[in-house]
Amino acid sequence: MTRRSEIGEAIVYPRLSIPGKVVLTVLALFGLLPIYWLASTAFMKRDAVFAIDRPLFPIDPTLENFIGFFQNDALIRNLVNSVIVSTGTALLSVIVAGFMAYSLSKFRYRGRNAIMVMFLIGQLIPGALLLISLYLMLNSAGLLYTYTGLILSFTTFTLPLTVFLLKGIMDGLPDDILEAAKVDGLRSGAILFRIVFPLVVPGLITAAMFAFMRGWSDLLFALTLAGPDKQTLPAGLTQAFIHEGTADWPALMAASLITSLPLAIIFIILQRYFVSGLAAGAVKG
Amino acid sequence: MEQTLLGRETERTQAERTQAERARRRRTPTPRTPTKRTKLGARDRTFGFMIALPAVLLFIVISIYPLVSSIGTSLFDQSLLRPERNFVGMANYSAVWEEFVARLGTTLIFSSLATIFPVVLGVWLAMLLNARIRGRNVLRGFLMLPWLLPGVVVSFLWAWIFNDSYGILNHLLSLVGLPGLNLLGNPAGAMAGVVIAKTWNSFPWIMVVALAALQTLPSEQLEAAAIDGATRRQRFLHISLPHLIGPVALVSVLEFIYNFGNFDTIFVMTGGGPGTSTTTLALSLYQMAFGSYELGKASAMGVLWLVLLGVIAGGYLLLNRRLEKR
Repeated sequence: MTRRSEIGEAIVYPRLSIPGKVVLTVLALFGLLPIYWLASTAFMKRDAVFAIDRPLFPIDPTLENFIGFFQNDALIRNLVNSVIVSTGTALLSVIVAGFMAYSLSKFRYRGRNAIMVMFLIGQLIPGALLLISLYLMLNSAGLLYTYTGLILSFTTFTLPLTVFLLKGIMDGLPDDILEAAKVDGLRSGAILFRIVFPLVVPGLITAAMFAFMRGWSDLLFALTLAGPDKQTLPAGLTQAFIHEGTADWPALMAASLITSLPLAIIFIILQRYFVSGLAAGAVKG
Repeated sequence: MEQTLLGRETERTQAERTQAERARRRRTPTPRTPTKRTKLGARDRTFGFMIALPAVLLFIVISIYPLVSSIGTSLFDQSLLRPERNFVGMANYSAVWEEFVARLGTTLIFSSLATIFPVVLGVWLAMLLNARIRGRNVLRGFLMLPWLLPGVVVSFLWAWIFNDSYGILNHLLSLVGLPGLNLLGNPAGAMAGVVIAKTWNSFPWIMVVALAALQTLPSEQLEAAAIDGATRRQRFLHISLPHLIGPVALVSVLEFIYNFGNFDTIFVMTGGGPGTSTTTLALSLYQMAFGSYELGKASAMGVLWLVLLGVIAGGYLLLNRRLEKR
């Protein structure tokens, strides 16, 4: 019995041949070395990077690049904006999408399929196509260069994402529970708030974090709809570093690391859910 | 798959479900076919529709309406520099047509290459990681990092690696006695550079999807085939590969569509240059609207793009439906 399952295991998960190991190593290095270079540059002194006999690792590590980031008022404002706008986007998306997902998952009514298709396609609309109209709309509504305007524009891509993510989760809720609650005399609203939402709290948090990540990473809308005061980190970094002749690369790498840190933390929290979330096809940066 | 998202909650509800099922079986001797329809009345249906409304309305206002209104804008000579606008009919379309065709070519090159490479790399890595390796999960976790980074960070990082004066790539080349490259300074090199950066950014996503598909592979099939004498290559070609092809095709289409609209990678790394060698539709539209403030012409460009996207999205929906049926 044990022997048989061992053989089965070896067939399903074979050992790697030597060439296989070599290829895996090469591909893994392609994936990992740039990360190493990002992190190590961030701890290097400015002069070390530009020296002819430059080191490949920070021999004399320094925190000056990180300190520089937090002494830069514009970048700090960007960071605060990023937190506000991404959190707002996550909350708005999850609240609205939570209702929507429950509706799509557990109710059948006319127009349901049309709504599904609308959101499926909505997922595919590139930001550039909405950009001009959003600019004109926000402008005439007086929302250009405001947090509200930016959150609304980010919702264009986080809403379909959170709807499908949450629909997948709600599909997993057995109908029997809902029917039992109904038999017990609970109204539809009470079922939603007292049974469904509490059951899917982990899912709601997951969806919120995905929306947060997408909002955090956006460049196009932040660059055009936020204005100088409300700009988020990606747009702020682009304007601060990229159009100068020679960029201060260690400072830029430190800023990049700081920009990436919240996403890394979320990743560690959500690691278990990432695979299924990604495989559902609903998530992409 | 979605049940794992619920975590511990599912275990609890699963226990409840088996209990309910046992009770039902006792009542009805004939096994009922499970129906997807919930038995809810007309009032519930109204409730279901009402709670969908906020999302639907919001989405119409921020996504559908802008798309439709851009058709309107495309018929006007409208600029950010002037308050008034003049109706010009199809003039914007004829003005941008040549630009559109030229940029479409660049966009297709970029999005095809930036789809093919991550797909090959991702599937390959998934196959390799589906073996018995020590530290497999740790390695997989670390390989997710490139996907995790914001697009601008990916671009900064690769621009830094490719930097012609101080970049690490040229430094390493000089160590082995090779001449340095000014990769982002020439048209072909710049395209290669953005494709490499985007490949690095996207392969983890494909890898994870392919790995998930491999792990749902019924092991009995592989074992039975092995017992019947199928070689490793045959098992891969006739069992694993057909199993992979559906999900991988789906993510490839998605990846292609996302790349088609990619803005941040190219904007940060090359700004569309040198010349117009990496100016894709998204870059061109952005430059037209916010560089030369020609909103009407940029909108015309967007509408042409939208028509094209409709065709691609139709293909995606068809594929999605076919896969769901399986």
